[in-house]
Amino acid sequence: MIAIYFVSALIIAMTLLTVRRLAVARWLMMLFVLIQWLFNGYVLMHTGETDLTYFTYDPAGVLFLGLLTLVSTAAVIQGLPYFNHQTRSTHFRHFYASLTGLIAFITGAYLANEITLVWILVEATTLTASVLIYSERTTHALEATWKYIFICSVGIALAYMGILFLSLSMKGTGMHGLSFAGLAKVAHTLDPVYLKIAFAFVLVGYSTKMELFPMHTVGIDANSVALPPVGALISTGLVNLGFLSIFRVYKALSGSPIFSWMNHVLILAGILSVLVAAGYMLKAKHTKRMLAYSTLENMGLVAIALGTGGIGYYAAFLLVILHTLTKSSLFFQVGQMGRVLGTYKLDDSGFYLKLFPTGAIALLFGMLAILAIPPSGLFVSEFLIMKALVARNSWVVLILTLILLCCVIYAMSTRVLHLLFSHPREGADLHAQCRVGKWETVSQFLFLLVVVGACFYQPPFLQDIINQIIAGLPNY
Amino acid sequence: MFYLLIVLFAGTLVYISTSERFRSYAKLIAVQGVLLFAIALMELKTLDLGNLIFVSAETLIFKSIVVPYFLFRIINTTKVYKVHPKAFPSFYSLLFSMVGLIISIILSDVLKNPSLDAVFLMIALFTLYTGVLLIITHRRIFSHMIGFLVVENAVFFFSLAVGSEMPMLINIGILLDIFVSVLIIGVLMNRIGTQFSDLESNNLTSLKH
Repeated sequence: MIAIYFVSALIIAMTLLTVRRLAVARWLMMLFVLIQWLFNGYVLMHTGETDLTYFTYDPAGVLFLGLLTLVSTAAVIQGLPYFNHQTRSTHFRHFYASLTGLIAFITGAYLANEITLVWILVEATTLTASVLIYSERTTHALEATWKYIFICSVGIALAYMGILFLSLSMKGTGMHGLSFAGLAKVAHTLDPVYLKIAFAFVLVGYSTKMELFPMHTVGIDANSVALPPVGALISTGLVNLGFLSIFRVYKALSGSPIFSWMNHVLILAGILSVLVAAGYMLKAKHTKRMLAYSTLENMGLVAIALGTGGIGYYAAFLLVILHTLTKSSLFFQVGQMGRVLGTYKLDDSGFYLKLFPTGAIALLFGMLAILAIPPSGLFVSEFLIMKALVARNSWVVLILTLILLCCVIYAMSTRVLHLLFSHPREGADLHAQCRVGKWETVSQFLFLLVVVGACFYQPPFLQDIINQIIAGLPNY
Repeated sequence: MFYLLIVLFAGTLVYISTSERFRSYAKLIAVQGVLLFAIALMELKTLDLGNLIFVSAETLIFKSIVVPYFLFRIINTTKVYKVHPKAFPSFYSLLFSMVGLIISIILSDVLKNPSLDAVFLMIALFTLYTGVLLIITHRRIFSHMIGFLVVENAVFFFSLAVGSEMPMLINIGILLDIFVSVLIIGVLMNRIGTQFSDLESNNLTSLKH
């Protein structure tokens, strides 16, 4: 079935590259979204099965594929107003073809059961994402695209070195492939020094995609110039891909002697991510950049949760799921705000509540949700992380995290409240530059409603799937 | 013979980290391609003919002819021939390079493994170090790209180390090399080179805060 999915995606992407009319391109994109839903349904009904030897529909893949399908559907709908009939056909052709490619590559990488195949597909996402980042063809877009390609390429090369070290350590074990399951079987017999080097390289390499310290800068620049629906997809689908790639290696090596070392590295990377995010958010002057730093902060928390273990594993996955819904809503909303105000610069923005009340309410709720203020579901996940830290007696990490989170809350809330209620600082003209339909906020409110619901009730199927994913991880 | 080639390769790395002319960079990348071809042929005797042809084509045609050709084209188009006047002085680069060589020798001894030649590991680590050093200490984008191509050569060395048991990994490494090199050189030639004629990384710092 996955072969049919890839062939369909390829045909649609190739057709998109040749169409001249925007309407045709949009219909083709809708057709791809429909195929994505059908494939998602198939995967859901065949959980646990393996397809084409190299793809397994395991719980982690199924969960992230479901999230990707949701966000990509909303991204395609939210992306409609960014092109009109005056847009040059090459622009929307490249955009939609790359969007199709990006979604298909991420889908494949979620389901791949071989380390090398995941790596190939992650590499392929760099190409398609860079075309999407460059879609506005400005100098800023060129700068962000160059940095994205260059830093991601360095990251991908480092991740490949990690894979090579893994294979070096597996020499003589009789294993001829590099499947996650195979690696998990022999992990306890492998040379710990080689495994440590391999994990460090994989973590640094995939941190370009997960937007985690130290290679986080690439995602920040990309998000600040990409069209908001693309930013939403990069900050959720691609970030989740980076997380899943690291998690799969982490889980495979969890039976090895380096398990405790990996946890320390993850906690260190997490703390540094939250520190950098808090520092830069305090001086953020660009709305999309602020959201990108918020992604860095949340991924830092996810790394801390994973490194802490215990209930932290569950909290990490819950945080990733709810972050996906909240961050995509915020990017969609900031996109609409940019269309209404004509700018993303904080100093030139203000009085959004007056100009577009529906959007302003979505932005306010989105801010409360992402800052984990109750009744946001993220509150539950962050509370569980703190609980895990207390259970492990990691008081220094706990106190540091709490202080940094206070900085993040202060930085983000003052900026969003300025956007909603204040005069623009630089005396910009205050009238709506563009009319935005209220219907465009529907997906944002729906996603945020789910996030709020998760604060009070997490459905059993969600708990089951997370518990299946984290089953087998050593506990403290 | 094998050790002679490794020493020659190390020599190109020291030269590349102290050189200031872009034309020298392009020539050294070509020389490294030829040396890698020879080393790969000696190391991968057990590979089947198909894989051997693939490796040879990548090193001899792509690394030592195609990539240097495009590097020369970029130099001729942008007319930027040297590193930035305020670049890291060559003497310090040489010192850093020597420190890197010593670190690589020590690390390769620490990491030595019965299934891996320590000399191989040493040269791979030194290549990686030199590439990263070029990216960090230089200000012009062209030097960054050369740094990346050197990092790619380090990846190639590492993949040779496991090549006889897992030839698929070499092929994937080669595909990475071709894919990313084409992507980076393409963007540099078609976009960055025309928009920012002096190829300075300072031109690419408008995205802040």
